[in-house]
Amino acid sequence: MNEPTILKVTSQSEEVSRSPREWVRKNLFANIPNTVLTLVFGAVAIYAIRALLGFILSGERRWGAVATNMRLLMAQGYPADQFVRVWFTLGSLMALTGLTLAAWRAAGRLSIGKISIWVMNTGAIFALFAVIAPISWASRIGWLIAAAILLSIGLGLWFGLRGEKKRPSGSVPTVWFAFGLLGVLVLSLWTVPFGHYAFVEGEFIAESGRTVATSTKLPFTVMWLILIGAYLFGVLIRERIPGSRAKGFLIALWFLSPFILNWIVLRDPDFDYAHIASTDIPLALLFAIGGGLALYLLSKPDLGEIGRIVAIGFLLFAVFNWIAAFFGWYPMLQKVRISFVLLALAALISPNFASDRKTRLRFVTGWIVLIAVSHWLVTAINSPSTLELQGPTYLGGFSLTLFVAVLTLLLSFPLGVLLALGRTSSMPIARVLSTVYIESIRGVPLITILFFFSNILPLFLPEGMEIAELAAIVTGYTLFSAAYLAENVRGGLQSVMRGQYEAADAIGLTTSQRTGFIIVPQALRVSIPPLVGQAIGVFKETSLVAIVGAFDLLRIAAYVVPAQTEFLGVKREGLLLISAIYFIVAFSMSKYSQKLEERVGLGER
Amino acid sequence: MIKNSKILQLLAILFAFTLVTAACGDDDDSSSSASETTESAESSDDEVTLTQDGESLLDTVQARGTLNCGVSGAAVAFSTLDPSGEMVGFDADFCRAVAAAVLGDASAVNFVSLTAAERFTAVQSGDIDVLMRNTTWTQSRDTDVGMDFGPTTYYDGQQLMAKASDGFSGSSTVADLAGATICTNAGTTTEKNIGDAAVAAGIEINLQTYEDFDIVTDNFISGACDVVTTDGSALVGRKAQQQPEGEEWVIFPGAPISKEPLGPTYGQNDSKWADAVNWTVYATIIASEKGINSGNAASVVGNDSFDAEAQRLMGGEGELQSLMGLAPDAFQKVIAQVGNYDEIYSRNLNPVGLTRDGSSNAGWEAGGLIYAPPAR
Repeated sequence: MNEPTILKVTSQSEEVSRSPREWVRKNLFANIPNTVLTLVFGAVAIYAIRALLGFILSGERRWGAVATNMRLLMAQGYPADQFVRVWFTLGSLMALTGLTLAAWRAAGRLSIGKISIWVMNTGAIFALFAVIAPISWASRIGWLIAAAILLSIGLGLWFGLRGEKKRPSGSVPTVWFAFGLLGVLVLSLWTVPFGHYAFVEGEFIAESGRTVATSTKLPFTVMWLILIGAYLFGVLIRERIPGSRAKGFLIALWFLSPFILNWIVLRDPDFDYAHIASTDIPLALLFAIGGGLALYLLSKPDLGEIGRIVAIGFLLFAVFNWIAAFFGWYPMLQKVRISFVLLALAALISPNFASDRKTRLRFVTGWIVLIAVSHWLVTAINSPSTLELQGPTYLGGFSLTLFVAVLTLLLSFPLGVLLALGRTSSMPIARVLSTVYIESIRGVPLITILFFFSNILPLFLPEGMEIAELAAIVTGYTLFSAAYLAENVRGGLQSVMRGQYEAADAIGLTTSQRTGFIIVPQALRVSIPPLVGQAIGVFKETSLVAIVGAFDLLRIAAYVVPAQTEFLGVKREGLLLISAIYFIVAFSMSKYSQKLEERVGLGER
Repeated sequence: MIKNSKILQLLAILFAFTLVTAACGDDDDSSSSASETTESAESSDDEVTLTQDGESLLDTVQARGTLNCGVSGAAVAFSTLDPSGEMVGFDADFCRAVAAAVLGDASAVNFVSLTAAERFTAVQSGDIDVLMRNTTWTQSRDTDVGMDFGPTTYYDGQQLMAKASDGFSGSSTVADLAGATICTNAGTTTEKNIGDAAVAAGIEINLQTYEDFDIVTDNFISGACDVVTTDGSALVGRKAQQQPEGEEWVIFPGAPISKEPLGPTYGQNDSKWADAVNWTVYATIIASEKGINSGNAASVVGNDSFDAEAQRLMGGEGELQSLMGLAPDAFQKVIAQVGNYDEIYSRNLNPVGLTRDGSSNAGWEAGGLIYAPPAR
């Protein structure tokens, strides 16, 4: 019983007593083979880094091609005069991030010791860069001076704040440290001469030796201020709002933001107000009032089986509407069909609200809000966009990559969990259907699925029914990713001990309660590493959407920029840049998962 | 009892569901006029047909108000995105020309970027109305694949490029390639053509293929490839942009080893639509012959210095455009908004070093192949 504690103490004391010199001797030069290995790999590493730096810094590299096409890489052909919408989108996400950090009380602290080590490491990397990079002597000295400054700051922090145990005491909140780091990056936009490259009305502008355009640095500064402002605002008001409500509200916002930002903000729908007044508003009112009444009645506490039968009747009717629309038996507006499905789903969950009058009224209020917002959004989605584009769709480059990845992950997660539950369930139909689905999807390459949804599916759809290219991509990708996700979750489900099921049954939980509160949380906890691996995979494999003609980040860097007359064949620069982008995103995801694993105690108990 | 936060999360999931179904579904809710047409289409139990009896794609496009035009998006000088995201190039301009003729507005084009693999399916599924994606007119595509081809806008052909320092010149032939390392991009007909040509010339060649032509060019510059081969238009572009100083690249043989006529492509058996596309191309060629350009197109009608054919084509007395289902001044808008053939060619292909003079793409009066039937 005492063994773990003892181990912990010894490992800690070892770490404290070990000086850098001892560490180097013990880990790098312990014996002769070790020393040889260290020297050989050190030489190889230095050679490789020098080659990479030489490649990046070579005069032959035309980084102007990447800089000029930065807008294309990030947002493709989004009209320049409407670019404020892109910034508004980014700003909204920044504000949400700030508020979320405040609401979840991101209380992590970084010790000064750790920060000083980071600063010293950065200084050391600068020094190494100055020594091995193939650059002129003048810039080499410049880098060395920068390294010396960083090293002295680090050492100053280390010794200046030295506490009792030979280590510096004190710490700063991680959040503020991150804000500060971002601030330094923003500041560098204003001070460091990255060069100004642009393409304005058919003219190429290339001015090296000055800072980036104001249209770049000003918005980024504003983004930074919004992030900090939202965080401070969140900290100020978080005491006045119950935590759970604030968190629920923020989760709902995060869920909704991809849709609202994409279809309302970026797409700017051109509403037809006469049609809205004559059709849309009456329809919404009808569903809000009629549906609200029905749900109020259905959530009556002593309704029993009748409620369930009515709800299933609703569901059958709602599904039948879609089948009828597919074969064109009778006309029904798409919005009405969607509303019936929503009503059926709400009716199915209504027994959960079978309680006092207050709860039931709150349920009805939720329904009315749902109808209002969903009708508004469906109208917006189906209204034509006001943007005038002189190229393919408005989403492209990094924004497309991000949009497809986020939406796919968001949608495939619930589907994947359901499939995993279906595959492990004791109901034969659910098990067979889930297994057939998972195995058949996993047996087909993603490219085939994308191609099918984009090109073959429209052939089967009835006349007048269209599927938007982006929707086709996201649907196909979601179905694909859900199959893989399901297998990851199933692995987790199998690791949950039998005793957990029995214990849940013993305390009288229903099957859904047992699944939702006991089994799935434990299964998900175990599945974190494969799930994050899957998420990273989904993010990276968005590059396959190029096969159906979408302009994702990779396609623009690898095929569009090198095809421009001005930058014919300039390919390596773009590829290097996007590999950096992919790496940063994937690495942050993996780092976050490590944090998450630590928090839920994975691998420790 | 369920907490407020749970209700909110539940609502959000339902929203997500709504939006996905809305986005995936049909557009029957878009606006009053659009919804009527689609509703009626939905209520009738028509099977999916590519060309309905009596109704041409021309009417569909005019009712829709935009032209869906399939392009490559990554073909140098033919269709590519400029840094501001605008689709530019020779093919893109012909898309605009068709839009100007059919809809009166050259900017009413919805460019659909297609890969080589999906281009014909896109035409068949009705995703696009016309394909301007440097597609070679071949027998099998015209018959078996179910496409129809419009007039050739660009006569291309496979050629070879080598360094003058290696002893090659513009008058070299395939027979001079014996023993040379020839590189091209994989998976295209170029690979097969050069193999056939080598067999015909009775020589042995060392053929290497790479993923795409950027890599081929890099290997040519570094010396790993002695000779590269692909369509002549691409070779000229590479030579103009990437030939290092002090080096001389030569393109040969004068008569290409393959014929690659490129032009508009559309679904078969819709002659009304075919006529509209074909005569748009012819109009740009005739305008080029008659000296009508984007500057003077608006002032041709009633101007005695232009002949009767020019007058008719620009919408003057006796015009024939109304009989085709187009506006009388449809072609005047094409020339005014996009330009004549020579303007479109010079604007897009001159910057990469492709000139009309002396090539197959010169006008027929100058010994080239660009020819249009008379407008009368």
